[in-house]
Amino acid sequence: MSGENLLFTIFAVLTCVSAIAVVVSQTVVRMAFWLVLSLGSTSALFFLANADFVGASQLLVYVGGTLVLLVFGVMLTASGPYLKIATSPGETVLGALVALLFGFVIFACVNGVEWRSPEAAGTRAVAGNTLRPLGLSLLGSRPDHDLKDGDRLTPGYLLPFEIVSIHLLVVLIGAAYLARAKRRTVSPSVQS
Amino acid sequence: MVGETLRNLLMIAWLLPLCGFAIEIFGGFWGSRKSRLAAWIAVGCIATGFVCSASALLIWGRQNEWVVLDKAGHGHDEAGHSEGENHAAPGHEGTAPHAEEHKEEPAKAQEEKHGSVAGSGSYLLTSMEEAKADQTAKQTVFSGTIYRLATFGGLELSLDYYIDSLTLVMFTMVTFIATCIHLFAMGYMSEELTEEYVDHHAHLRNGHHLHRPGRFYRFFAFLSLFCFSMLGLVIAGNIFQVFVFWELVGICSFLLIGFYTERKSASNAANKAFIMNRVGDFGFLIGLMVIWTYFGTFRFGESHNAEGQVTQAGLFQMLARDEAGNVTKSAENGEVVIGAAEASLNPVNSRKTIPYFLLVVAGLGVFAGCIGKSAQFPLQTWLPDAMEGPTPVSALVHSATMVAAGVYLVGRFYPMFVQEVLLTIAYVGCITLFVAATIAVVATDIKKVLAYSTISQLGYMMLGLGVFGWGAGLFHLVTHAFFKSLMFLCSGSVIYGCHHEQEMPKMGGLWKKMPITAFTMLIGVIAISGLAIPGLINLSTVFAFSGFFSKDAVVATALAFVKANPAHFLLFIVPLITAGITAFYMFRLWFYTFAGKPRDMHVYDHCHEAPLIMTAPLMVLSVLAAFCAVGGEKGPLFLLITGDQPGHVAHGISATNGLTLPGHDAIHSVHGQAGLLALIAAVSGTAIAWLLYGTEKVNVAEIKRQLSGVHSFLANKWHFDDLYDAIFMRPMHIAGKFCAWFDRTVFDGILHSAAKITVFVSQWDRKFDETVVDGLVNLVGNSTWSVGNSLRTVQTGRLRQYVMFIVVGVVALFAILITSFAG
Amino acid sequence: MSASLNAYLLVGAVLFICGVVCMATKRNGIGVLMGVELVLNGANVNFVAFSKFTDLGLDGQIFSLFVIVLAAAEAAVALAIALNFYNNHLTIDVDRANKLKG
Repeated sequence: MSGENLLFTIFAVLTCVSAIAVVVSQTVVRMAFWLVLSLGSTSALFFLANADFVGASQLLVYVGGTLVLLVFGVMLTASGPYLKIATSPGETVLGALVALLFGFVIFACVNGVEWRSPEAAGTRAVAGNTLRPLGLSLLGSRPDHDLKDGDRLTPGYLLPFEIVSIHLLVVLIGAAYLARAKRRTVSPSVQS
Repeated sequence: MVGETLRNLLMIAWLLPLCGFAIEIFGGFWGSRKSRLAAWIAVGCIATGFVCSASALLIWGRQNEWVVLDKAGHGHDEAGHSEGENHAAPGHEGTAPHAEEHKEEPAKAQEEKHGSVAGSGSYLLTSMEEAKADQTAKQTVFSGTIYRLATFGGLELSLDYYIDSLTLVMFTMVTFIATCIHLFAMGYMSEELTEEYVDHHAHLRNGHHLHRPGRFYRFFAFLSLFCFSMLGLVIAGNIFQVFVFWELVGICSFLLIGFYTERKSASNAANKAFIMNRVGDFGFLIGLMVIWTYFGTFRFGESHNAEGQVTQAGLFQMLARDEAGNVTKSAENGEVVIGAAEASLNPVNSRKTIPYFLLVVAGLGVFAGCIGKSAQFPLQTWLPDAMEGPTPVSALVHSATMVAAGVYLVGRFYPMFVQEVLLTIAYVGCITLFVAATIAVVATDIKKVLAYSTISQLGYMMLGLGVFGWGAGLFHLVTHAFFKSLMFLCSGSVIYGCHHEQEMPKMGGLWKKMPITAFTMLIGVIAISGLAIPGLINLSTVFAFSGFFSKDAVVATALAFVKANPAHFLLFIVPLITAGITAFYMFRLWFYTFAGKPRDMHVYDHCHEAPLIMTAPLMVLSVLAAFCAVGGEKGPLFLLITGDQPGHVAHGISATNGLTLPGHDAIHSVHGQAGLLALIAAVSGTAIAWLLYGTEKVNVAEIKRQLSGVHSFLANKWHFDDLYDAIFMRPMHIAGKFCAWFDRTVFDGILHSAAKITVFVSQWDRKFDETVVDGLVNLVGNSTWSVGNSLRTVQTGRLRQYVMFIVVGVVALFAILITSFAG
Repeated sequence: MSASLNAYLLVGAVLFICGVVCMATKRNGIGVLMGVELVLNGANVNFVAFSKFTDLGLDGQIFSLFVIVLAAAEAAVALAIALNFYNNHLTIDVDRANKLKG
């Protein structure tokens, strides 16, 4: 077993276990903790798949941004220290059953399809250090494609990039609007 | 120049009443119903008209130096050798001298002397054409166009004038009588000078009498309109214009008969008069069509262009007659030649012809209009009913002028009548005069007697014209106008004095109460009866009132006619007998009303003489009624009338086959004989009347009882109204009922069944809509609603359940895909 | 266990299923959000795996980048919604949000 395979196995197991732990945890704080582990090990998997920029983004955005946001949410909405909202056993069983069914379907699909390898389709594999190609792609240039058949210029991702930027702006404004501090006119009974 | 002067004068006389009418009807007199101003305007207009007419007559006479009157003297001088020589001048030679003429009409006699240089033949001018250049100074006929109304292709409608001696005499007569009657009416209609007039003859539904505002001004407005229409009829220079004014006098008659329009009888009488006139006018229109189609013009006289040259011959010049007086017939096809007189003038159209029977049709058509207007048999029944109008109207419209218009038109249109038409005219007149006279014998309403008398006298006129007494008929027209208007006004005075009592049996002995009326009435009665005193001055002359002379002329003409055509002896016998009947019923009227003892003391006590404004016209008219025809057929009036008589009248017509019509010579030869017979008849009639009603020695009631069959037959007016009711009204009612039944059953049935079918279809359509269409829509709605309702339970609103659904759905999709692809 | 395509896909599948189950069973709104993150993460793993092992190439990575960005935006909005929900109901239990029940 090579070192790469070993690392992959470790992080894959860690990812799966953490995800399952998220599901089975009863309190939100623990769920957040396991989620951090799961997402972090996923970013390690990205590094292993030569997607170094994506992995870095995963760490920065997910682990560093989104999860902090979630923890804030946990804190803002927690009415007690270890809030537990129990799920009924029937639902848990039902969820497990559906999960198994769904898992069976996905595993069947994954195993049932003969995936084409990059060797068969021509060398397109990404060989690490993806920062530069990714940046060019987002600016409208595709070095991996254009280098091979230059006459068929492929459009990059400039326009989606712009759209996503605007989208983020709109989302930020919308989120700020939704979460702004309202002058609540709460009746005394509710307040108590 | 004289023609223009005459035209202008007559137009003033003609149009002034129209102005008067406009002022009276639109002048706001309804605001002051007690004002006599409207009447004075009307009188002023018509009196000015009379002055104009009279001056026009004088100017006309002076212009032609009274050649018309002059003829008499020459005729007398040439009497000795005119007979048997077939002289061109048809003289009125007679045994009677014409001294009276100079005595009564000094002014005219003076004029006559001036004109004595004119030749004896020149009075015969029948048209301008015959007035040759050297005779223009003696021109007696003036015609021309006043205003051109419209031109439809070759048809030219225009206002023309045709002025000859007859026109002038008619103008003077009409305006004079109208003036008298206007004055009389101011007194007679004074009851209308009130804000609230009580009409005792109009009953309201609640039994009360009608109260209405007085209509004094309106009466005079209608009278003025009538005067305008009548004068327009007389001056008219073409037959179409005659027809227009013919209808205008008809509408005036309608308005005046229906003056008391609230009375049912009055409005019915107005309708009857109007409708019966329409029957005659239908014939008139047919005559007009024939004339237009074949003659191409309506004008009487010639048309002139600006230079005074003749451009088109008039109707009177077109019908050429040979020396014997017969119409000229074409050699090729036997049709009547038109326009021979203008052959040199217009050679292209000179040989137009008209079938002889169409000439008869044209004549009969025009005469049909005259029958209606002059109340001749068989359309005579409207005139007695027309007495519903105020008495001045009866005097003016329904005795003196309008009903005489028919006679006038026959006279005016005389050149166009051929023998057959004239014979028809004669027989119609003969029947009319006898029928009306017999009815008048038994009538008791004083105005009805006069009305039948009018019809009878109009019959005399028609008879006179029909037997070729052109002058005689029109002579009788003028004299009759005077004495009949006089008598009507007298009866009006009686009715006024007796407070609207018209029944003679309730009168009697009134001469003590109203001497002027009684005396003037007596003059009128003598005049109409034709009484005369022969040999007052010398053996060959007679002293008589106007009626004798004119009726004598008619009877003499009739006798001459019968002598020439013995087959038609009735045309002499009947008028002779009727002359006696006339005298009888007229004296009966006078005795009944004025003589004897009062039969109804209530009427007698309240009776009074009329005021001066009413008696003055009576006196003036009585003088004229007595003396207007003085001199008889050598008197100025007759000579004036016959001055422009149609050319063929004087000679008579000696036909090879058909009727022989007497000329003046033939008439004159029997004049004395006829006059004697007529006088005997009149005297005997008068004597019988005196015996029965004057002496009161004979029981009239007993005679009436013995002759009850005849009496009731006459009192029912020969059952003419019943006859017309049976012939026309009953079938009309039956036809109307049938139409109503047809409408009600067939048309209404069709409509009702159509409606029912529509309702049935609609109901079915409604059911279809409600069940099928609405049902489909409701079904869609209901199913949508129930499906939504059943799907509602799926929407649990639980977030996590939705996630499960998604997952299960995805799994199910996979399962389906796998199974289908595996298959 | 080699780092083959199937292994990556299996890891993605586990993440996905865990996320779905998390969404379906957690009554806590924040927990549901975490499930969503897991699902998105599973999809990202698949993208990256296909980017490495098939001819998808760089596109897969770019898509996973977009997914990360959009997930962050989604998290921000969802958190705002959760806060609003909490303000209105004084709880974070999503079962209480059943106003859409038909």
